[in-house]
Amino acid sequence: MTKLSLNRRHLLKAAAIGSVALASPAYLRRAHASGGEVNIWTYNNFVPESFKKQFEADTGIKVNVRLVDDQGKQFNLLAAEQPNPTVDIMTVAGHRFLQFIDSDLLAPLDTGRLKNWGNINPTFSESDWSTIKGNKWGAPILSGMEVLSYNTDYVSAEEARTWDTLFSEKYANQTAYIIQDMMSIIMLKMGYDGNMVAYLDKPEEAARIVEEAKQFLIKHKPLVRKYYDGGAEIQQMFVNQDIVLGHSWNGPAAALINDGFPLDMTIPKEGSYGFVYTYNIAKNAPNADNAYIFLDAILSSPEIGAAMTKASGYISTYKDASNHLTDLEKKSTSFTDEELASLQFFRAEANKMKYGLIDPAVEAIKAA
Amino acid sequence: MSYDAASARNERAASTLRQADRTFWGRLVNWSPYRAFAGLVAASPRRQFLILALFPILWVLTQHLGPMIQMVGVSFTDAYPVAAGTEQHLTLDNYARFFGDSIFWMPFFRTLFFAATFTFCTLILTYPVAYYLARHVSRKNQMLMLLLLLIPFWVGEIVRTYAIMILLGNTGAVNLLLRSIGLIDRPIPFMYTSFSMGMGIVYLTALYMLLPLYSALEKLPKSYNEAAADLGAGAWTRFRRVTLPLTIEGISSGCTLVFLIATGFYATPVLLGGPSTTVFAETIAGFFHVAGDEWPTGAAFATIMFVSALIVTVVFQRLMSALRKGDVK
Amino acid sequence: MNRGNRVLLSCVYWAFVLYVFVPLILMVLVSFKDSKFIGFPIRSWTFEWYTGVFADAQVLSTFGYSVVIAVLSTAISVVVGTWIAVLLEGRRFWGRAVIFGLTVLPALVPGIISAIAFRIYARGLGIEPGMGAIVWAHAVHNVPFVVLVVMARLSTLPKSQIEAARDLGADPLIAFLRITLPYLVPAILGASIFCLLLSFDDFVRSFFLGGYEPTLPVLIFAKLRSGMSPEINAIATVALILTAVVGIWAERFTRRLKKETEG
Repeated sequence: MTKLSLNRRHLLKAAAIGSVALASPAYLRRAHASGGEVNIWTYNNFVPESFKKQFEADTGIKVNVRLVDDQGKQFNLLAAEQPNPTVDIMTVAGHRFLQFIDSDLLAPLDTGRLKNWGNINPTFSESDWSTIKGNKWGAPILSGMEVLSYNTDYVSAEEARTWDTLFSEKYANQTAYIIQDMMSIIMLKMGYDGNMVAYLDKPEEAARIVEEAKQFLIKHKPLVRKYYDGGAEIQQMFVNQDIVLGHSWNGPAAALINDGFPLDMTIPKEGSYGFVYTYNIAKNAPNADNAYIFLDAILSSPEIGAAMTKASGYISTYKDASNHLTDLEKKSTSFTDEELASLQFFRAEANKMKYGLIDPAVEAIKAA
Repeated sequence: MSYDAASARNERAASTLRQADRTFWGRLVNWSPYRAFAGLVAASPRRQFLILALFPILWVLTQHLGPMIQMVGVSFTDAYPVAAGTEQHLTLDNYARFFGDSIFWMPFFRTLFFAATFTFCTLILTYPVAYYLARHVSRKNQMLMLLLLLIPFWVGEIVRTYAIMILLGNTGAVNLLLRSIGLIDRPIPFMYTSFSMGMGIVYLTALYMLLPLYSALEKLPKSYNEAAADLGAGAWTRFRRVTLPLTIEGISSGCTLVFLIATGFYATPVLLGGPSTTVFAETIAGFFHVAGDEWPTGAAFATIMFVSALIVTVVFQRLMSALRKGDVK
Repeated sequence: MNRGNRVLLSCVYWAFVLYVFVPLILMVLVSFKDSKFIGFPIRSWTFEWYTGVFADAQVLSTFGYSVVIAVLSTAISVVVGTWIAVLLEGRRFWGRAVIFGLTVLPALVPGIISAIAFRIYARGLGIEPGMGAIVWAHAVHNVPFVVLVVMARLSTLPKSQIEAARDLGADPLIAFLRITLPYLVPAILGASIFCLLLSFDDFVRSFFLGGYEPTLPVLIFAKLRSGMSPEINAIATVALILTAVVGIWAERFTRRLKKETEG
């Protein structure tokens, strides 16, 4: 058993390395750049190790990766470093763009300098959230969404079709969710716009809706086991069987599925929200030219996108990336058309108002 | 009797000093640059004090106060970091927000209450351990057995916190054990309660209590207890009237350490606590993590937290030193 | 009676040993689990996580980096903290309470806030992010712990000893070096252990003040993002063994050094 799974993993690794090496674009090898370095802040495994080595060998540009663990810390760190940041490329989720842009921390992305921009699925590269103030701000690499995950030994696929199951007596104290994210979903479930863009001119209406969602979560507080924050937490709760269903991001859930845990996930019929991780170039980036070379290289082939998916569990934004996944990986990163039809993307336009209302509501729910 | 012990020690100190002429120290004292230096430093008690005090005062002002002034400064502003093209104004709103909204009071008082409770639990748990080590174990083994207890503390907070999860989870070690010996059929939900949180915090802080207690107990002469026993005092009376008062200093410093560390804990309560155990550090971090642009409010709340913790610490220390003075005489 | 007490207390001691070691044993146990997630049941076992740790040069260099930071910052904290403790203990002077308050301040500020405050202040002072900045922040943060521990010990130093030395003509510095400092050694050792641990385990200050080279906790947090895998437990186990080896070696070394200078 041990041997077998060891081989399986090694095989995957070898396959990933091989495919990426194959995919190394010829023009990069020819155009040997001036060398130097490029500094990147990103999550663990978001820059595939094999790609990094290949890139360094091909271009002579040294890749310095600084591992980060959440969006808030990147924001704080960059804010503390400006106007002379040490970073060139950072990883921001699409719906956090506006906060970074408002604080003047990002440089607009000149997509004309990226020959491989067209390799990104237009659903992500040309969607409504990606253009702000007339500019593109980041290159989409991975896509995530808010899903309902459930232990298939205890919860039926039928039950998981609705968010209501998360609040049912049947699974009292066997559920968990991230309150901030749940607030948006509850608003959607109640028939409102969870992005609150529709209420930009109607602050009273917005406040009333947030209050309604808040009251709903307070009413159901006795049924929840845990309000959590990070993917590793919900994975551990599933493994320890402290919960049998919960709201989660698809990445952590996919990682459990790929490891053979009896888990599945759905986008329930009431709908849900998606978000996209993008590589962004910092304002006053010290090595902006190298940053563009790096971005163009990482977008160059679907195999690189597939390698990122394998490592993170999130869905690749690259065209045809799924052709390079195993069946299990395909299963853990795909949804039915019916499910996808009810998915919307998070939007940032109303974030100031939205989180101005939601953050105090979250405090109130925790204090209730 | 205590006078005898002290005078014996004085005698020893004096004799080492008398030998001093032949050793390194003797040569140092007679070395002329050192004499000039010592003369300069020790000219008057006033100058001695000034030289002693200069560095600490400079240090605390530049290193301790500097960063905090910056933070307190931020807490009185309406925007930080300042976005391009906007102006920063001074305001008291960030403080008003705490006092104006009762939802923030609960986590605040909960933090103080939890920290105090867990500190007390740690004390109760570790005192007998320190007592046993210091009083009943031979000198040779003391260090070894103390080091044994230190080993787990070299593992990071996060890793140990996750270890608590696989200990207490529904399929955790404790539940597995209880089920396999047939005591229960359904797992007991230990996790995500104030119990699991307390267990984690006590686990992480025990060392900071154990060491001060041990060092206080270790230097307590055994003869005191024997003398009290000769006078007919029972074990409990001896402990209460002799050992406890003489170790108040260790108790006080251990409790202060644990209390301070426990109020500042963030990751452990967040990971091990339940829906209704939110601590203030989590509230504060929320202003820095989730909201991102609410640093001033976060800074104001942090200021409130550390001023409160400081007051608690000072009151506690005063109380302890009053207790000590009252009891030892 | 006395023997009964003794047996009872030794039971308490071993129960405590069990309490601190059980989670540790679980940690080591699941580091051999053949799965990407820790927890029970363990269906199959593997050494793969350990071979991975030793194959990964980053983990080992990160460990060394964290140890160097811990040792340097501890050295600074101990000197400064002892100095402040000597100033504060047993003296009455104007402003003493203020200095005490300022001294414990860094310990009272929640980690995330102190980290950001340090980061902004470091920029003001022109300290570049990296090892120097981390050492500085750890040293400042750990001073209060040294002060508290050393003050506790100092308060029990019999005044008569110092007076006797002074009567014999020792100047204050010699009296401090010959009488006070040796008396403080156990407290200083204890405080050093605190500082080493606090520094070695610090995430948030290291993250904000660090550059592109991570310390061990920073690496672990980053890895945690993609799941709490046995790999992290394997790293922690290796780090634990390495620290124990370094610790035992250091203890032996100082003991031998002591013997040589005495002999």
